[in-house]
Amino acid sequence: MELFLMTLITGILVGGIYALVALGWVLIYKCSGVLNLAMGELTLIGAYVTLTFYEMGIPFILAVVCTLLVGVALGFLTERIFLDKLIGEPILSVIMVTVGLSFFFKGMVEFFWGTDTRVFDPPVFAITPINIGYIKISPVYLWSFVLAIVLLIILVAFFKYTRWGLSMQATADDETAALSLGVSARFVYAAAWAIAFMSAGVGGALLGNINGVNISIGYLGLLVLPAVVLGGLNSVPGAIVGGIIIGILQNLSGTYLDQFFPGGVKQIMPFAFMAVFLLFKPYGLWGWERIERV
Amino acid sequence: MEAAESILRINNIEVKYHEVILVLKGVSIEVPRGGIVALLGANGAGKSTTLKAVSGLLKTEDGEVTDGAIEYEGRSIHHEKAANIAKMGIVQVIEGRRVFEHLTVEENLKVGAHLRKTRSVKDSLELVYHYFPRLREKRNEVAGFVSGGEQQMTVVGRALMTEPKLVLLDEPSMGLAPKLIRDIFNIIMQLNKEQKISILLVEQNVKLALSVAPYAYVMETGRIVMDDTSEKLSQNEDIKDFYLGLTDKGGRKSFRDVKHYKRRKRWLT
Ligand SMILES: Nc1ncnc2c1ncn2[C@@H]1O[C@H](COP(=O)(O)OP(=O)(O)OP(=O)(O)O)[C@@H](O)[C@H]1O
Ligand SMILES: [Mg+2]
Repeated sequence: MELFLMTLITGILVGGIYALVALGWVLIYKCSGVLNLAMGELTLIGAYVTLTFYEMGIPFILAVVCTLLVGVALGFLTERIFLDKLIGEPILSVIMVTVGLSFFFKGMVEFFWGTDTRVFDPPVFAITPINIGYIKISPVYLWSFVLAIVLLIILVAFFKYTRWGLSMQATADDETAALSLGVSARFVYAAAWAIAFMSAGVGGALLGNINGVNISIGYLGLLVLPAVVLGGLNSVPGAIVGGIIIGILQNLSGTYLDQFFPGGVKQIMPFAFMAVFLLFKPYGLWGWERIERV
Repeated sequence: MEAAESILRINNIEVKYHEVILVLKGVSIEVPRGGIVALLGANGAGKSTTLKAVSGLLKTEDGEVTDGAIEYEGRSIHHEKAANIAKMGIVQVIEGRRVFEHLTVEENLKVGAHLRKTRSVKDSLELVYHYFPRLREKRNEVAGFVSGGEQQMTVVGRALMTEPKLVLLDEPSMGLAPKLIRDIFNIIMQLNKEQKISILLVEQNVKLALSVAPYAYVMETGRIVMDDTSEKLSQNEDIKDFYLGLTDKGGRKSFRDVKHYKRRKRWLT
């Protein structure tokens, strides 16, 4: 029972980080209809950027803030350099370009930072578990979760209450009508990329802080895809709940199924679950079925 | 109409989609400052295209003004981007009640204020609720689920939030009950008077359009075929025959077939 609870809670905590990455994904999809397959690499870049700042002696929280800023800048740049010219092209072409981007980013990461696993040194949060009631939790999971949730709340508030957030949602709903009011879709796309880069980057930083930083963080970023699809691709609450579900699934299957299917069951389980789930709910949890009034 | 007074002047424009499909073949329209002008015509005549040419939305559909000019407050705007045109105070209310359906009514209105520099958003909201009290009641409901009339009010209110000088209204009566149409048109006339907003109104409901706009243009397959004061137009036999259905000639024939009217060929002048 204790093992179950511990696995569950760890799953939820890691899921919070997945939710952050998932949000970036949803954002780009929602605003521009593009499934950004370079998301894993955005996560990866975020991890390395934070690590680099940290190694320069900047405190972790500040390093994360710097990563936010770098993410915004890189997001804008990526959109302007690679994607702006593709507005109006078929969505599939744009998705293929994001595949290309993922290779490009991965190559850049290997070029700048090499392929060895690196860790945050000295460790940011204590690894030794602390006791909370019956169960033991590492502070590193706890704090990462807290940070992820804080950022999520800020982002959700941004969408709900600021004029830019509302304009982005409006563009997602009806680009032409938004443009008639002076909301430029091009700017919205760029902003979506900037925010996606930012949230994925911070997600990567937190994951890297837990597991060490190497190329595999990129795969973790990609692992978030089931979370996004589960939530319904364009739903912000969907991304958050989806992220947490994936975190739980992953940890439960790692704890209980690994003995029967040694190897990668932890990685496969979320995808298997996604496939089965979509059979029953093809739009995900909160995906948009076009609103039809009767 | 005095030239100096006009806020918008469309001067003999030609519009093509995808560089080959010629849709407007020489259209000229003037909207006086503070006035309401109606643009009438059957389906496919090119009314919406004309409005999109002014607002710049044409470019999103791969359309282009290939000849002629559009002047707004003396400034040529047909090469401007849609977002810049919106900043200058022109807003198009697209046909078909295009609310942001996943946002609430009030959030829809707030998007209209996103370029806002001067008046506070709150004051503007109050102004919209003053004209459309129904929207105040529905402010927190998701716009995709309110009634058709309320959606139409939402899109007009949303346009009002941009503090426009010129509103391009595309078929606001479409698919609404007669009583509701009257209400909405009364509000539109009030906005025109009290807020000094100039309006270019596209309508298929000719009777209604002629009752609110003192001056109107009639369009057919990409050309203006007539323009006159509403008073004169509503006395015109062909208009009565073809659009108002007041005579007993029966059957809707093409306006082109009506021989005895000497149509004014604006595109030649
Ligand atoms: N994006 C487009 N590409 C190609 N042709 C177009 C496009 N939009 C409109 N057209 C054509 O231009 C012509 C005029 O269309 P427009 O929408 O301006 O007519 P309308 O007068 O507004 O008609 P309605 O009353 O049905 O709204 C039509 O023949 C239409 O097929
Ligand atoms: Mg039309």
